[in-house]
Amino acid sequence: MAITILPPTPAALPSRIPSTAHHDTASSDEDDDSMDIDDLPSGHQAHSAAIITPGQTVTDDAQWMRGHGTFAAPDSTAIRSTLAGTLQKTNKLLSIVPLRARYTPEIGDLVIGRIVEVQSRRWKVDVAAPLLANLMLSSINLPGGALRKRTSVDELNIRAFFGEGELLVAEVQSLFQDGSASLHTRSLKYGKLRNGYFMSVSGMGGGAGVVRAKRQIFTLQTAHGGGEVDVILGVNGYIWVAKHTAEVEGKGEAVGVNRLEEVASASMYSSQNDDIGAETRREIARVAGCIRALMEGGVKVDEETVRRAYEAGLEMDEREGEAEYLGGERGRSIIEMVLGG
Amino acid sequence: MAPYTNIPLSPAELSYLHTSLSQQPPLRPDGRSPTQFRPLIAETDILPSANGSARICFADGTEAIVGVKAEVEKSRLAHTVPSNGEAAGQGVLGLGKGSARDVGDEMDVEGDESGGKGRDAWLEVAIEIPGMRDDDALPVFLSAMLTEALLADGGLKDRLWINSRFHWRLYIDILLHSQALSYPLPLLSLTTHLALLSTRLPALVSEKDEDPLFNDDWEASTYLYPPTTTTQHQKPPVTLLVMSVGATILFDPSKQELAVADSVLAISAAQSSTGELRMVALRTIDPPSRLTAAGVPNVLNTTTGATGAQTLSAADVLAMREKDQGQSVWRPPRGGVPRALVAKMIKMVVERGGVGEEVMEGLANVET
Repeated sequence: MAITILPPTPAALPSRIPSTAHHDTASSDEDDDSMDIDDLPSGHQAHSAAIITPGQTVTDDAQWMRGHGTFAAPDSTAIRSTLAGTLQKTNKLLSIVPLRARYTPEIGDLVIGRIVEVQSRRWKVDVAAPLLANLMLSSINLPGGALRKRTSVDELNIRAFFGEGELLVAEVQSLFQDGSASLHTRSLKYGKLRNGYFMSVSGMGGGAGVVRAKRQIFTLQTAHGGGEVDVILGVNGYIWVAKHTAEVEGKGEAVGVNRLEEVASASMYSSQNDDIGAETRREIARVAGCIRALMEGGVKVDEETVRRAYEAGLEMDEREGEAEYLGGERGRSIIEMVLGG
Repeated sequence: MAPYTNIPLSPAELSYLHTSLSQQPPLRPDGRSPTQFRPLIAETDILPSANGSARICFADGTEAIVGVKAEVEKSRLAHTVPSNGEAAGQGVLGLGKGSARDVGDEMDVEGDESGGKGRDAWLEVAIEIPGMRDDDALPVFLSAMLTEALLADGGLKDRLWINSRFHWRLYIDILLHSQALSYPLPLLSLTTHLALLSTRLPALVSEKDEDPLFNDDWEASTYLYPPTTTTQHQKPPVTLLVMSVGATILFDPSKQELAVADSVLAISAAQSSTGELRMVALRTIDPPSRLTAAGVPNVLNTTTGATGAQTLSAADVLAMREKDQGQSVWRPPRGGVPRALVAKMIKMVVERGGVGEEVMEGLANVET
């Protein structure tokens, strides 16, 4: 069957309908909210069912402390929301988890970016943040053996390193006054991306999308002869799924600081893909499909959920035969298997 | 989504996608088979005050709503209608007789009295896309393509004929409800098809050339395309987007797949009264892959330690690029598409048991 057409599903009913029927005074909703806060379980998993809008008073009880996404007017104790989102309580701290949020760069974040603009000594990089990030020519690894300063030749050759549209993985080195990021790729882990497939889960709020974790780069051992597949989860929601390259690990500890650039230089700025077998391509597509299913299901994307979703996808293929598309109904059952444990 | 969405993909990504898609069997990034569509959500008769309406949601989040409105209008009798239908219609969009339509009309003009009496001007298609003006290139081009397919079918405008003095005027209003993520033509066309299938016109009680008088009971209204129990009846056309990468033919391409397409065709197929599909219109669409930059092979890359860039002459470099033919790095497609491939694409849409038939069947089963 070439096409699947589904009937629309009716909108889900709110899990809890607030009882506002018997209140008619102006302060009634605030009373309701403070009741809700006491009932709300503490911790990251629990959110209020009701959506709070910007400017709405969350509580005027002085016992609560204000967290992210809230503000208090200087002359009152009332805590108001600055975002549209759900309420989250951590002991006495109240914060608002936004429904949708753009990435805000922080120093040390591993991000994936796409070159938007090439200037004389820097690149402008799209990292899904409100402002474009900067990548200075002086904060990349220059090829050519020994550590060296950048020269005017490098400046003229700037497009040989990164051209418009090219993808790179980098770290946020510092932040400017306006909140835009300055990136660096001075490590063998960072640099131009090739041999793989890009996808974006940016703009997700409420704990979905990519979350900061201990490891943002990991290797999956895939089935069906696919070999190893690298997954890079950029904190900004950009994701790169690629064939594993043994090059970096192969040299292992032998790479000293002095030889680092020598080793890196050979293929660092290449835009030519290696030979990738059909099996590996199929598994890369499967991993990407699993991540897409996680995104559509509103589940956070980190190493554990990606591994689990991949195993769930394999299991499902064994059960149902070689139907590979992981959208719609199959995506939902993957989510169930991931959340089920 | 990202603030800069129209930056091209990197040469490495394009090369990866292109090689994956041109393998046999092709590996699509979302694991679909070449003819498989992404699941979509559809419903009809959603607008109570329109003659017919439909809504379709694609899996990537794009959504379209179509409303069909019919008005009775007095026909202008400036010139008599010749018996030959071909001359009457002035060709599609008034562009003269050279366009797709005159092939269609000659083939099966229906036996009843309204055959060949329809006029192109009786159908109006308006497309609204958020963030675009109504005179932007995309909505204008899309509405021209949809109008062309609907008129080339011949059957639709003849159904609008009431008597020699009056006719229905059909307004098809298409609202794209979301940003146009991928090329929205198939979404709009499928929704229009559904809306036309659900379109009902009041039943006529007057006779012959009297002023038309209609039955005010909506229950008694007649369908513009009367449903039958068999599949053998005329249906409005659907326009499908078909792309090719190498020798591979793909249906319902996603945005990333379109980015590496060698060629993109919009094929409109309509079902005739015998239940057979035939092509009523064909357009090539300029694929976005032509605007991308070519990749630099390792031998010419100054940063990979290769000496090629310094030692080779300009002519050698050019020769090397030509010989490579996009094998090692991405090269934007050039030239046209082979005739045999176009024929194969059309055949896959219109053949018995082909993709077009499955799409029509799927849409016919949509519940209201």
